[in-house]
Amino acid sequence: MGERGKEELDRNRINHSLDSPPETELSLEGFEVAVVGAGPAGSAAALTLAREGVQVLLLERGPFPGSKNVFGGRIYSYAVKRLMGERWKEAPVERFVRKEGITFTTSDSAFSIEYESRDPQFSFTAIRAKFDKWLAEQAEKAGTQLVSEVRVDDLTVENGQVKGIVAGGDKIPTDAVIACDGTTTGLARRAGLVTMLEPHEISMGIKDVIELSSDRIEERFGLNPGEGAAHVFVGDCTGGLRGGGFLYTNRESVALGLVAGADDVSLRKVLSPSLMEKLKTHPRVQRLIRGGRTIEYDAHMIPEAGPGMLSRPFTGGMLVAGDAAGHLLNSGYTFRGVDMAIGAGIAAAQTILEARKKRDYSARSLQVYERKLREEPSLKDMYTFRRVPAYLRNKRLYDTYPELICAAAEAVYRVDGTGKRKIFRELRAQTKGRVSTLRLIRDLLSGARTF
Amino acid sequence: MAEAEKPLTLDQRLSLVSFTKDPEPFIVVNTELCHKCEKKPCLYICPAQVYTWQDQLNYNIEGCLETGACLIVCHKIGAKAIQWKYPSGGKGVSFKQG
Repeated sequence: MGERGKEELDRNRINHSLDSPPETELSLEGFEVAVVGAGPAGSAAALTLAREGVQVLLLERGPFPGSKNVFGGRIYSYAVKRLMGERWKEAPVERFVRKEGITFTTSDSAFSIEYESRDPQFSFTAIRAKFDKWLAEQAEKAGTQLVSEVRVDDLTVENGQVKGIVAGGDKIPTDAVIACDGTTTGLARRAGLVTMLEPHEISMGIKDVIELSSDRIEERFGLNPGEGAAHVFVGDCTGGLRGGGFLYTNRESVALGLVAGADDVSLRKVLSPSLMEKLKTHPRVQRLIRGGRTIEYDAHMIPEAGPGMLSRPFTGGMLVAGDAAGHLLNSGYTFRGVDMAIGAGIAAAQTILEARKKRDYSARSLQVYERKLREEPSLKDMYTFRRVPAYLRNKRLYDTYPELICAAAEAVYRVDGTGKRKIFRELRAQTKGRVSTLRLIRDLLSGARTF
Repeated sequence: MAEAEKPLTLDQRLSLVSFTKDPEPFIVVNTELCHKCEKKPCLYICPAQVYTWQDQLNYNIEGCLETGACLIVCHKIGAKAIQWKYPSGGKGVSFKQG
C-alpha cells in the first residue's frame, strides 16, 4: 500500500470510528468481499454476507451512506422486512402511504384518480440520507467494515477474473467484488459488462424538498396522522416531455419532483432545472405546496434500460447489483428502485455464499446469480414488465392523451345550458383532430399487452 | 391564506445543497471540440447548469450534483468533449434529504 493512500484511508477509518470503540489499526487487506457503494443494494449485500461470518468491506465514496443518494420518495416495505425481519419497523419511516394518485394535466386543467389503500403498511416514504445510513448501520452491526469517503477507481483484473479493487492508488485484493456503484457504474464498465447507455435509456430526475407542517400535510391530502400520499403527474406539468412529476409526503416536508427523458431534454433544448419551476407553478400542484419553504434541491440520473442494461450482471470475481445493473422498474404509475436494489443485493450475497463454499468465484460459478434474479418473485417484475420502457417512449402519452382526458372530462362535467351530447359521442368528438381512432386503439391494445 | 413561495433561481436552489470542494478537477472538457458541437446537449441536461455557453463552453464544477448525465449526452449526441468521474472520496455534493 502506497504511503499517501494509506494515510488517506486510515484517516477515513479514524473519522468513521469516532462513535465506536477505538480499534487497533486495521488494514484494508484481508477482506473476502469488497462491496462498492453503501446504497440499498450494497448494504443489503454486506449485511447478508456479514451475518454468515464473511469478512466484508463496504466502501462508500460519500461522507456517510446516503449522502450521495437521491430518489423520488417511496420504499416498498416487503424488501426491508425480508432483509430485517421484525426489526424492519426500526427503519426511519417518514409516512406509510395511504393514498395513491395520478393526475393528467394541461396548462389549466387536471384530471385526477385517487386510490385509498386498505393497508398503508405496504410502502413508506423516506429520506435517503436517513434510510441508507440506517441500513448501512445494520450491516455494520452484523460485522461489516464500513469505510466512507473512499472512491473506488478501478478493478484489478487477472486473466479476466476480478481480483480486487483499486482505491486511493492502492490495490486491495479480495476474493470477490459486489459492484453497487450506481447508474454511472464505473466498475461494470471497467469489466466490459456495459458500454455507455444511450440518452433515450436514461432520465434526469430532479426534485425540491419543501418543508410543510405535518398538520398542513394531513389536512391538504386528507390523511390520518402518520399516513402519507404518493402522487404522479403527467402532461403539461413536464412540458409534454417524456416523463412525469411525482409528489411524496414526508413527515414534515413534501418531496416534489419530476423525471424527464435525457434525449427529450437535450434535443428539445429544455433547461432541465427550469422544469422544476414549471411543475411547481402548475395550479394543481401549487395549491398542495402553498406556504411551504424549499429546503433542498436534489438530482439523480435514472437508468431506464431495465436489467438488459448489462450484457450480464456478473463476471469472474464480480457481481453487479442495484442501479448499476438496471435493477429498478418505472411502470409509469409506480416507481420502484430501493426494493429491487435490496432484493438484488440479497441475491448477490447468496450467490457469493454458494461460491464461497465451493471456493470458486469464477464466472461459471457466479452465473447462478442471473437465475436468482429472474426467479426471485419481487425481481421477476423487472422481466415481466420489460417492454414497459419502450411503451413509455410513446410521445402521445405526454401531450395528446393528457389533453384528451382533460378535454373529455371538461365536456362531461361542464353544464352551461348549451345542450349536452351523450358521453360516448362526446368522447368520440374529443378525439377528433387529436389522434386517429385506429392509433388510439392500437395504443390501448399495446398498453394492455405491455402492462 | 398561505403564500406561494417565490420562484427559486438555480443559484438559490444550489445554495440549499452542501458541497465540499475537490482540489482535483473531476470534470475536464476539451472545449475546443465544443465549437463544432451542433446540439450542445450538456447545456440542457445538467440540473446544476455546470455548463454554460458564452462565446465558448464554460464550466464550473463546484455546483456539480454528480448525476453523470453530461457524460452520456456529450458522448452520444455531443462532441465527445467531456471527461467525467466522481469527485474524490468525501468530496463533492452531500445531500441531507435525497
